[in-house]
Amino acid sequence: MIDAFSPYVAWRYLLTRRINLLAVGGVMFAVWAILLVDSVFTGFVSQIRSDVRASACDLMVTELPHDASYEALRAAIEADADVVATAPRLRHHGMLQQVRVRAGSARNQGSSQVDFDHTANGFALLIGIDPAREEAIGGLRQWLVRGPEELAQRYPGDFWPSPALDETDAGRKGRLAMPDADEWRARRRAGLAHEPDVANQRGAWPGVLLGWQRIRRLGWFARSEPFDVVCASFTGGDGDAVLHTHSARVGFAGVFATGSRAADEGMALLPIETLRTMLGHDAADPGSVDVVTDVAVRLRPGLGAAAVAAAGARLRDRVNAALPPGSPSCLVADWEQQNVTFLSAVAHEQGMMQFVLFVVMLVAAFVIYATLHMMVVQKVKDIGILAAIGGSPRSVGAVFLLGGLAVALFGTALGLGVGVLSAANLNAANEWMYANFQLELFPRRLFDLREVPCRLEPSWAATVAVGAIALAVVVAAVPARKAARMNPVLCLAHE
Amino acid sequence: MNETALQAVAVHKRYRLGRQEIPVLRGVDLAVARGETVALLGASGAGKSTLLHVLGLLDAPSAGEIRFDGRRVDDLPVRERAALRHRHVGFVFQFYHLIPELTALQNVLLAQMMAISPLAYWRVRKQARADAEAMLERVGLQDRLRHRPTELSGGERQRVAIARALMASPQALLADEPTGNLDSHTAAGVCELLFDIQRQRGLALLLVTHDEGLARRCHRTVRMKDGVVER
Repeated sequence: MIDAFSPYVAWRYLLTRRINLLAVGGVMFAVWAILLVDSVFTGFVSQIRSDVRASACDLMVTELPHDASYEALRAAIEADADVVATAPRLRHHGMLQQVRVRAGSARNQGSSQVDFDHTANGFALLIGIDPAREEAIGGLRQWLVRGPEELAQRYPGDFWPSPALDETDAGRKGRLAMPDADEWRARRRAGLAHEPDVANQRGAWPGVLLGWQRIRRLGWFARSEPFDVVCASFTGGDGDAVLHTHSARVGFAGVFATGSRAADEGMALLPIETLRTMLGHDAADPGSVDVVTDVAVRLRPGLGAAAVAAAGARLRDRVNAALPPGSPSCLVADWEQQNVTFLSAVAHEQGMMQFVLFVVMLVAAFVIYATLHMMVVQKVKDIGILAAIGGSPRSVGAVFLLGGLAVALFGTALGLGVGVLSAANLNAANEWMYANFQLELFPRRLFDLREVPCRLEPSWAATVAVGAIALAVVVAAVPARKAARMNPVLCLAHE
Repeated sequence: MNETALQAVAVHKRYRLGRQEIPVLRGVDLAVARGETVALLGASGAGKSTLLHVLGLLDAPSAGEIRFDGRRVDDLPVRERAALRHRHVGFVFQFYHLIPELTALQNVLLAQMMAISPLAYWRVRKQARADAEAMLERVGLQDRLRHRPTELSGGERQRVAIARALMASPQALLADEPTGNLDSHTAAGVCELLFDIQRQRGLALLLVTHDEGLARRCHRTVRMKDGVVER
């Protein structure tokens, strides 16, 4: 129990000593910084997670043997009651090169020199898909809507939505084929062989869907723009490996945006049969396999994490049973497991950032300590006076402890208020700063976001507030203890 | 006047200076009765102020006993000693020892806030304020309530200190050269006030002074030399 003079004297000291404003300001700044920076980071992380989730299927059966057949696996997977749909995927690294016969005919012909005149290299992760099945998995149609929107928000131009999924002819849809007239115009534009009459042109190119980030870097958006797709593989075991290259000509069929920067930049979607053929599994060949590297799975909606995990375990057993004897076990990954490295890196970054902000809070706590310590040193005589008129050591110490507590309460309250206001008006403030001072505190373009995502979690704000006050009380306890242990007689004699 | 308010019994006080032990009080016996005024005289370093601090429970004796109303009090827990110091004795110092951030009224009011919880004080705060104003009026400072110590003269500061010492209605006043820092005219006024209040309230007054004239106004004079009371 403390005496009534403790809060009274503490309050008087706070009111009359302006240096306490420094401590209040320090706590306020630390709380504000922690709230605002973490809100932005939480917003980013939340956005990243939702983007990653949007670009990932419910479950992915992967690490399959090189000759895994989709039809065999499909029967096994779709037998599970929780599975709604599956889609085959074939992954392979490759390159894309625009066909510019007219514009680029004089360039690099017969030369081994690397073209450094633009930054967009042609490397891509080629994903062979079955468009109809992929649509059933979910996501693809939405990606094709978002793609032109992302470009339209940044650049002027006609960013048309891909018609590939609206094609009624199943064969053409499976090839992601563009209208024949578009191919005719693209051929003519590029100086490639074409029918004299557009009406006689029959489309031959399968389509390719490219991410909006790649399109942005390439700087064009022409229907059926022709590309050469190249991928390579090695054969030969004992002796020197032999490099085989496979190529196909495809036409640009549309732009997608998954929300994942890595996917939107590095991924190219093309018909799975085109990629299979390039890799030596032409469907027309006898004995060819409808080869897949992964099978995307859509589960019944509304399943919890435990049910998804259980479904994953069941599917792994089913797929392993369907694989040829002696095959290594496959992996069934949910959306977080599919992106575990990336999500771990983001979580690690957030942890590091919170540590840095904790250090900011420590600095504020040190300011409180220094202020109170200085106060104790300057108020030695007062300590003696309070003891002489009946103040107990505990109550004398409480003067300084309460001083620290008051500084923390005021600083935290101000920091919370300013932090909440800043978080609520972050984008407006960001715009205003840029409009008036050309200063963008949170550059959206850096992260390709329409606005700075900011998410202030009430639980986090409460944690920060309680933590700031607790930390201030802990550091204030040191000078308070010192004051309580002082000899009153020596204090009275202090000059 | 026979009831003993304060008593030191064979009190020793030693201070440690590095490895050396310095005896300041060496077996002091002293009793001050209610209504009695005692002047404590002696050269500088004789142990007068130390005896005052030990008697007022501001410092603990190295040996011996301190008694309030015949009851030993120096061995009580620190919090009880603080409460007893508040209720039983009032200190008046040579250099006033007022808290500079507080006004005259607030300095006096501070004495009302000792040994009482914040909540309990909140309930009696209006009465406490009225009492403090009355006390300042009693010492002639009714017009200086809101002045800070730096805005008061030496005599006025000492009057504030006296008012503060009396706020808890103590039974003894311990004054350590209360006029030592004042000019003779002001000192005379402060002394008059001190003795007047002492008479009115029947206080035990122990007065440390170098002023023989002031000492002669007391009922009894005790001389100290080298930490002992001269007989």
